[in-house]
Amino acid sequence: MALKAGLTPEQARARRVRRERVRRTLRHGILLAWTFFIAFPIFWMVSTSFKDSGEWVAWPPHWLPEAPTLHNYAQIFAFRSIDPSLSRQAAEQAFSIWKGLGDALLVCTTAALLALLLGAALAYSISRFQVGGRYFRHTILTIRMIPPIVVAISVLIYYAILIPYATSGVLGARISLFDTYIGLILIYTASTLPFVIWMMLTFVDEVPYTLEHAARLMGASRITVIRRIVLPLVASGMVVTFLFVFILNWAEFLLALTLTHPEVTTLTVLLNKFQSASEGRLYGPQAAIGTMITIPVVVLGILIQKHLVKGFSFGTIRK
Amino acid sequence: MQASPEGETKASPLHMAEVLDRADMTEIAAPATRFAVGTAAAPGALRRFGRWLGSDRIFPRIPFLLVELLFILVIFVPFLLTIYISVLKWRANRPFETAYFSGLENYEAVLSSDLFWLSIARTFYFAGVAVVVELVVGFVLAMLVHQCTRSKKFYTTIFLIPMMIVPIVVGYNFSMIYIDSGPLNQLLAPFLERFGIDPHIRWLSDPVAAQLAIIIADIWQWTSLTFLIFLSGFSALPRQLIDAARVMGATPWQNFWRVQLPLLKPAIVIAVIIRSMEALKMFDPVVLLTFGGPGTSTQTVAYFLWEQVWVFNKFSFGAAASVLLLIMFSVLIYVGIYLLIRQRSTVEGKV
Repeated sequence: MALKAGLTPEQARARRVRRERVRRTLRHGILLAWTFFIAFPIFWMVSTSFKDSGEWVAWPPHWLPEAPTLHNYAQIFAFRSIDPSLSRQAAEQAFSIWKGLGDALLVCTTAALLALLLGAALAYSISRFQVGGRYFRHTILTIRMIPPIVVAISVLIYYAILIPYATSGVLGARISLFDTYIGLILIYTASTLPFVIWMMLTFVDEVPYTLEHAARLMGASRITVIRRIVLPLVASGMVVTFLFVFILNWAEFLLALTLTHPEVTTLTVLLNKFQSASEGRLYGPQAAIGTMITIPVVVLGILIQKHLVKGFSFGTIRK
Repeated sequence: MQASPEGETKASPLHMAEVLDRADMTEIAAPATRFAVGTAAAPGALRRFGRWLGSDRIFPRIPFLLVELLFILVIFVPFLLTIYISVLKWRANRPFETAYFSGLENYEAVLSSDLFWLSIARTFYFAGVAVVVELVVGFVLAMLVHQCTRSKKFYTTIFLIPMMIVPIVVGYNFSMIYIDSGPLNQLLAPFLERFGIDPHIRWLSDPVAAQLAIIIADIWQWTSLTFLIFLSGFSALPRQLIDAARVMGATPWQNFWRVQLPLLKPAIVIAVIIRSMEALKMFDPVVLLTFGGPGTSTQTVAYFLWEQVWVFNKFSFGAAASVLLLIMFSVLIYVGIYLLIRQRSTVEGKV
């Protein structure tokens, strides 16, 4: 930096140090302000989840619960509604989290595994054999860009009309995929496949082809090559992709809301049921459920933090 | 790593590379022949079938066919069906057999529906405002965090958390904050009471405030994504280039506008495309915060379609609207993907 006229080097340095300190303070001020903005809703949710019903909408609001209680958690983790004082309607709404948790785990895990299996295999084919032509990678992206509401309406009509109609003609029994695990798993698999393919492409592309080629020339079969050379090198990438897709499925709401009712209930749908409750909203249990939904994905997300950008940008940004 | 039958032939690729270097054929051929022996025991037809599956022509196409089959079954056929339904006159509360052909009547109904066009305009308005704010804030935050040294990891971790939180929980959180005796009103209370205004403001009952509420919820959650994209953009900047510019006498201002910003262009384009595509799908916060209300002032196009189909049972109307929506979106999708490909090739060309 050029020296200003009339300043000794010492003065210039002191001035620079001072300016640097001001800039650092300003920088941390802005960053901490944003940190506060981010933390506030989360803090409020966690705080509410420990409040008793009287404090949910108290005025003035209590920043911290005055009488912290685990009642909300007890209620959502109960196998049956435990509070006899609740009205019948409220008691019906206060069903426990177990069903939602089980369904969400089942659907999300299965769909993510299925998508990983298919997507990883296809990514390998695309990377090594240019299956589907040069622009197939990008064609796949269109699937992801279609508005989910369009998919939801089509699939609802399909599950609820065409499949029962077809099966009653062919098999003699009306089988509907509406409100079934299989139906939800299939649509989750299809809608997350583009992410899997693109993430796995970034990992598979990094495996040197010469290695495989040499092994092939020396007589290793295709299966051996994949199992012994490719798989060990992309294993960590597959774990990351699985977790990423799992988080996506875990957060999915629109498709679950439209394609299931009342049997299959994922956690997001469960939370929404409390929201639309007619007789006063149950803020406390909602907050408890929200906290419970949030914790696992935030932990998983922090684990794969380095790779999140790869997933969300479809591998266009790789660092 | 899987257990290998012999202790010596470890399956590690590193080992494989060493083996290849020494060009020792017997060692690497050993597991392969063992595998071949395994299949030799199978009947001839099966073996031929296995070889056919493993051939260059068939093997790469197996996953391709499976995935295409899934897409056709789960996305393509349903969509054809939707087109079919969209030319019928049918409501879901009547049996399907009562439906009759009605030509383009549904399309006419959609195109002449004010609510449809308003919801589309509103969606673009929400997405536009939200994405612009997210880009600017995300960029500034990424720039500031990039300058940090010790606290970089701390801020990055904190700032990325909203992205991982389930959107529906975000909607719930903001619906808590906006209630009439909620924390927002308490923060504002000292100011409002001075002017004699009752601090129990019901934010979500006012059209403009409800729209803002939804936009703010989107900004809260997705600024983390633009932040992440820009942060990786900043950390991928070549140091030598920036140092060279400084040594040659560029002011920090010039260095930023003339050197760094052009280098960040791919990241900016990617962030714009990805965020706008996602923001145009906005649905979850609307359901959680306002149910499209008050009136129809916060209906996005996704919510509008959802309501038509699930609340009013107007299936054929919804089908026609979704076909039209997809046609409109396909232009955006095409442009978006074209730009992504172009940016990607420049990103890869540079690295």
